[in-house]
Amino acid sequence: MSRKLVSLFLALLMMFSMATVVAESSTITVTDMFGREVTIEGPVTRIIALEPSDCEMLCALGCEDALVGRGKYCDYPASVLELPAVQSGANTNLEEILALNPQVVVMSDMAHTTEQVELLEQNGIRVIGTDANSIEEVYANIRLLGMVMGKEAEAEALVARMQQTFADVAAMCEQTDKTIYFEVMPLEWGLWSAGTGTFMHELAEICGMKNAFADIEGWQQVSQEQVIERNPDYIVLVTGMGETAVDEVMGRAGWEGITAIQNGDVYNADSYAMTRPAPRLMEAVIDLYNFLYGIVEEEAPAA
Amino acid sequence: MKKISDRFTWRTYVLFVAALIGTMLLCICVGSVSIPLGDTVTAMWNSLWGLEIPAGISKSIILNVRLPRVINVALVGAALSLCGAAMQGLLRNPLADDSTLGVSSGASLGAVIALAFGVTIPGTTYGGTMIMAMGFAFLSLIMILSLAYVLDRSLSTNSIILIGVIFSMFASSVINLIVTFAEEHIKSITFWTMGSLSGTNFGHSRILALALLLCGGVILRYSRELNAFAIGEDNARHIGVNVRRVKMIILITVSVLIGVCVSISGTISFVGLVMPHMARMITGPNHKRLLPASMFSGAIFLLLADLVARTLLRPIELSIGVVTSLVGAVAFITIFYRTRKAR
Repeated sequence: MSRKLVSLFLALLMMFSMATVVAESSTITVTDMFGREVTIEGPVTRIIALEPSDCEMLCALGCEDALVGRGKYCDYPASVLELPAVQSGANTNLEEILALNPQVVVMSDMAHTTEQVELLEQNGIRVIGTDANSIEEVYANIRLLGMVMGKEAEAEALVARMQQTFADVAAMCEQTDKTIYFEVMPLEWGLWSAGTGTFMHELAEICGMKNAFADIEGWQQVSQEQVIERNPDYIVLVTGMGETAVDEVMGRAGWEGITAIQNGDVYNADSYAMTRPAPRLMEAVIDLYNFLYGIVEEEAPAA
Repeated sequence: MKKISDRFTWRTYVLFVAALIGTMLLCICVGSVSIPLGDTVTAMWNSLWGLEIPAGISKSIILNVRLPRVINVALVGAALSLCGAAMQGLLRNPLADDSTLGVSSGASLGAVIALAFGVTIPGTTYGGTMIMAMGFAFLSLIMILSLAYVLDRSLSTNSIILIGVIFSMFASSVINLIVTFAEEHIKSITFWTMGSLSGTNFGHSRILALALLLCGGVILRYSRELNAFAIGEDNARHIGVNVRRVKMIILITVSVLIGVCVSISGTISFVGLVMPHMARMITGPNHKRLLPASMFSGAIFLLLADLVARTLLRPIELSIGVVTSLVGAVAFITIFYRTRKAR
């Protein structure tokens, strides 16, 4: 009888000690991109990404199986479209998120308010905030998600691959004084371009070119006159407007004299790849390189 | 005693035309890119007489970007202000303006539908938005008038205002509903509704000028009736004005003009509300003078607002609607305060 009790006691003790060992080994503490310290009981097997960029990163890290939901604009890779979609941004809906019972929700600065974060945390859901506005910050973002998901090695490999791609492209380009004008909003709705602090600006520099609007910060509405006056050598459309967009730009009154128009150097780029803080920036830089240096697909460097 | 003329004398017209032309020239000479005054004048002069323009002059900026924009801004300003003045007189309500009738909301709805569902005209990238805005402006006019017909055949002032407000609210809620479902287009929808004349060309000028000539001509011809309305509908009826018919004609002309303007420039607020009041301070309430004065002052005001929008933060450009709303709101409160104090 007493022997039985002792063995039961011992068994229980062993279970408890094992439990503590397991718990200790899978507790993940990270500092997110807003400086909040977040402790997560791992391993993370149920996660929701509200931003398309975080969704793309998680998939690139091989964590697609852990995604139990996505923000409604997450659309890449196409397979994530099968996941249940939740509202994001200003319309973030806590009920929808709670219903999917995730361990972790990844949000960006645009998406969350303090109240939303507190409510999620009260319900036992850990919130990771991301905010990447430069390529360096994209690396930090990838490493952060790697730590959360226990994929540090994969994250390092992905960052290294991105660094290599940008370095390869930069090595192939000579520094020139040629300028690229990026158009993020068409003339019809007031012309908007991208200045410093945008990925487009960084990509132009990697390709050895100057951003025609390096004197503005972020996305701004600019004067049509300024575009004509600055006479860019290349025009890259990031408007996501479809096939006729290039023809529309080529036919604009008063733009005939612009070098880019005269040479037909107007390119309709993949607006998502070029504006999202995600691994697809690698594709964006190669696309841009191919357009700028007129290289056909086969000769292009592999991603 | 000096007799005050019922109409504008030729001297007043010369004065207004001179002020308008002066403002237009200023707006062509000053812009986001600084171009020497001499170059601008040479380019304008030579193109006027079909002469060769010397190389080295930014011909395309002056003639293809600034000139059409300045012309379009003047036309839209004149049209919006004229419509505001006519509506204020017709409805005997100082808060009436071009948007009171609900046609501009209807036009916005059309444009938003075109943006959200990707309505396009083959061969053009943005033609769909303009055509849909015009179509919906016309549809809203028909809807508003049939509502008025069903609810109140006498077309009383209050009914018109009420129907306009209800229709505007209906159109805005449909816009909000569409925005909820088509959030990925929210960016283009927002920018469209903020109003912009930056991408307009001479083709737009032709449409605007034609609309202003036809509709403006009709509205100006009804100055006498508008004067009669200002005293009271019964008074108008007594002196032989067909109240319903005149109301109908003015409502339709105003709507057509607003529909054309909104489809080209987006919604630009405050011009139609504030400028007739400003003009009234100069000319008094007689519509024979008020209507032309509103047109000129509306054109001049919008030109200056656009100049501020283009140059204040160069190379960045502000939205013209932001400038008119800011300046307009301050101006309106000042006028309101002064008139109250004077009483």
